Amino acid sequence: MAKFLPTASILTIVILLLVPLVFKLDGKPHADWQQFLGRFHVLAVHLPIALILLVPLLEIGGRFRPGLREAAVLVLSLTVIVCLGTFTLGYLLAYGSGTMGTGVTRHMWGGVCFTIGVLVCFLIRPMWASGRWPFSYPALLAGVLLMMTWTADQGGSITHGNNYLTEYLPAPLKKWPGLRMVQAKSQLVPGSFYAEHIDPIFDANCVACHSEAKIKGGFRLDSYNLLMAGGHDGAVIIPGHPEKSILFSRITLPYEHKKFMPAEGKPPLKPEEIAWIKAWILQGASPAVTSLAGVVIPHGYKETALPQVGDYSGMMAQISQIDAAPGVRLVPVSSKLGDGLILNTVDIAAKFNDAQLAQFEKFAPYVVDVELERTKVTDACFDTLGKFAHLRTLNLSGTAISGQNLAKLVPLSQLTYVNLSGTKVTKAAIAPLLSMQNLHHLYIYNTPAQTASMPPSQQPTTRSLP
Amino acid sequence: MKQHPLCTDPDHGPTILDLPISDGLKMEWAALQTRRHFLGKMGKVLGLAAMATLSGDRMLAGSAYATNPTPPPPEFSKLPYFAPKAKRAIYLFMSGGPPQMDLLDYKPKLAQLYNKDIPDSVRGTQQLTGMTAGQARFPIAPSHWAFKQYGKSGAWVSDLLPYTAQMVDDLTIIRSTNTDAINHEPAIMLMNTGNMNAGKPCLGSWLSYGLGSMNDNLPTFMVLLSKTNAKENNQPVSSRLWSSGFLSSEYAGVGLRSAGDPVLYLSDPKGIDRDVRRKMLDAVNEINHQTYQELGDPETNSRISQYEMAYRMQMSVPELTNMSDEPQSTWDLYGPDAKEPGTFAYNCLMARRMAERDVRFVQVYKRGWDVHSNVPGVLPILCQETDRGCHALITDLKQRGLLDDTLVIWAGEFGRTVYSQGGLTKDDYGRDHHPRCFTSWMAGGGVKPGIVFGETDDYSYNIVKDPVPVRNFNATILHCLGIDHNKLTFKSQGLDQKLTGTTPAEVVTGLLAS
Repeated sequence: MAKFLPTASILTIVILLLVPLVFKLDGKPHADWQQFLGRFHVLAVHLPIALILLVPLLEIGGRFRPGLREAAVLVLSLTVIVCLGTFTLGYLLAYGSGTMGTGVTRHMWGGVCFTIGVLVCFLIRPMWASGRWPFSYPALLAGVLLMMTWTADQGGSITHGNNYLTEYLPAPLKKWPGLRMVQAKSQLVPGSFYAEHIDPIFDANCVACHSEAKIKGGFRLDSYNLLMAGGHDGAVIIPGHPEKSILFSRITLPYEHKKFMPAEGKPPLKPEEIAWIKAWILQGASPAVTSLAGVVIPHGYKETALPQVGDYSGMMAQISQIDAAPGVRLVPVSSKLGDGLILNTVDIAAKFNDAQLAQFEKFAPYVVDVELERTKVTDACFDTLGKFAHLRTLNLSGTAISGQNLAKLVPLSQLTYVNLSGTKVTKAAIAPLLSMQNLHHLYIYNTPAQTASMPPSQQPTTRSLP
Repeated sequence: MKQHPLCTDPDHGPTILDLPISDGLKMEWAALQTRRHFLGKMGKVLGLAAMATLSGDRMLAGSAYATNPTPPPPEFSKLPYFAPKAKRAIYLFMSGGPPQMDLLDYKPKLAQLYNKDIPDSVRGTQQLTGMTAGQARFPIAPSHWAFKQYGKSGAWVSDLLPYTAQMVDDLTIIRSTNTDAINHEPAIMLMNTGNMNAGKPCLGSWLSYGLGSMNDNLPTFMVLLSKTNAKENNQPVSSRLWSSGFLSSEYAGVGLRSAGDPVLYLSDPKGIDRDVRRKMLDAVNEINHQTYQELGDPETNSRISQYEMAYRMQMSVPELTNMSDEPQSTWDLYGPDAKEPGTFAYNCLMARRMAERDVRFVQVYKRGWDVHSNVPGVLPILCQETDRGCHALITDLKQRGLLDDTLVIWAGEFGRTVYSQGGLTKDDYGRDHHPRCFTSWMAGGGVKPGIVFGETDDYSYNIVKDPVPVRNFNATILHCLGIDHNKLTFKSQGLDQKLTGTTPAEVVTGLLAS
């Protein structure tokens, strides 16, 4: 048996290297049975990974308990067998389903190298164990593990998309060089109907199977030129004729139809998306045209982005301590941490004074809204409030302030709303605020600053700056 | 655990085993029951463990229960989902169905069509109410009143609403609101709870459940009923409209009475001072805590928190309802009606005082809009009662800087027909219920001021542009308060229930301020 081992191994390696050259991945689907078996690849592929990870553990453990070493040999030989099986299934999957692309090719060659590596590990382990080739086996094993990681990553990218692992990476880490990011599409004509409305549909629904990493049916639609070039069945878009365009007929088939796209149980395109594609093809399928006759797309409603505050998650314990006691509360504006905190005093307004406000100075950079209506604060409060650099909203209505120190609010560049209704502020006192660029809402109802001659409903209590 | 007096749990009552059925069936049932029980109990244990982990110390700290008997589920720290434009809302509900073509939906072409029959093509195959289905004719009744354009927006407003006319630039008028119900009860339930059937939580309950209280001394959700006028056709409104449905009853609306004590039995009886009341409450709470430990019924906790709320309201409600601190300018603005408790104008002023005190949601009901007959006689009374109050509320909120973060909503449950119910003369006509279109308005936090949204046909019968069904109307209100209507859900009867129901709803972005 031992005699045949080297011969058999060499033969296996040769076959492994020849298979991709003989049965070329040409992007055409082949027999259904191949796909049927091939789909078990995604299941089986986890076996060699688990087994090969066990090998170094057993080898290290074997230094203390020699019995484990023997187990390592067994596991390694099992890995070889399982690798060969998994490779076969994988090749059947790619060949049978007619998948091609750089991602698929890389994953395939990774699989070949990994299998050969495991096989060689198995062959040279006896020499290493007898002390003849020190370090050879551990070094190769380490290399095989690295190879396995890379191959697994390639495989994962085929199934889940290119940026699956990095999509939710914390922003600072994304800047690390070498990390795979989705490239900006430079060839798109900015503002065109294709760029704004058609390409995003393909991006969201189609490119998982039809782009550089994975080319099903020989067809890619990750760029306009490739889209128009079509696939194995020829052009998929005939400008002016949606009914003759393969792309359009495939997305409008009944959902249960074998050739329906998006395939494999993915959700169908929305009716309006289909309507846009139809209108776009009908009117020439141009990459540059900016609007289409008869297509009205409601103006995308965009929330105005709020200025963001820093991360206060480290202070959560203190904040919930404040909230637990009845009275003052620090409430988040929304579920988004960066939207900041509201200082709410309504429950104990009658007892809340300057000294208590000063205790909140440590939260100053994170508070965007300070509600002090009908509290006991005085003009001294502006010393503290001037430190709330991200303050957007300040309500002092019904307090006893006279507005002497209002100028201390002037550096607060994000302040948009100040309510001084029912206070004793005068025209002179509020004058410094009028220079503030972002202060769009200033309320002085029922104050000496309000002109007495006018009826209340016509008071210029709100002003809008350009 | 011992049996709750109202408990129908098979654990405690008579079981299948007591029934005169074959032993084989009993055995089968017992086997199933054991497994289900095991799974159920396991689920509860896991749930408790998860909750304890997520809520941290709060769960274990007994004192937390005293002030906050039912801590909201952990995911609630996520609300509002995004920065809201409005922190609170006031809903002026015009019960009965105001006639849109006599108030805000101007239809100039109707004048030439006086007493002509409405074309069949307009009415289509619609099923009418029993009140007009038997009519031989459907004669068009043009509005009795003239319309003029106002403000920068140039919105058309009937002469019946001189005060509303002055504030059109602050309003977001929606002429294309529409509903699925044609009779009062289902329609008013749909508007208030998002479902025609009773038993679902209303908008206010969803808001207090989702967003919680801003003022611990007042209820999160308050209801003000306006006095009825015997000359008007008053349809009943019931507490089903401010019910919390399957949510805990602490989220139900708290009503203030229009006459006498605003809240019954709130003031202490003679000879009982506040300390005695406190001691009594402490003792009752202790007993209730024991009951909760034994039975685990969350409603026990609701009851504890409601006793505590009532105790705090003993101080806060007299302060809230004492209007002697209002300056003369207030009375000039709201008009003489506001001096009389229970009028709509008084309730508008009360709503403003509640907004100032950070009550999350106030719903004011005005009944009497069900004008089946004598529109020219009754409608001026209704408008006189409501027009000035609406204008005063918006103006007052605006001058006090409260309109920036308060959303005000004005709506009824449906519209009324362009054809006359009963006989039609120049000075008399009636209007039947009309679900296909009605006019509503919003103002304040989150909505775009000075626009008229949606369009109806020349008969104010069908919507021709931008329809706003009730579910989208409610989704938009929630959006203004920072809530994604698809995310604020509560599991009941096997469904993730939500205010906007199961038909997909959308926020009407055309109504939103940018």
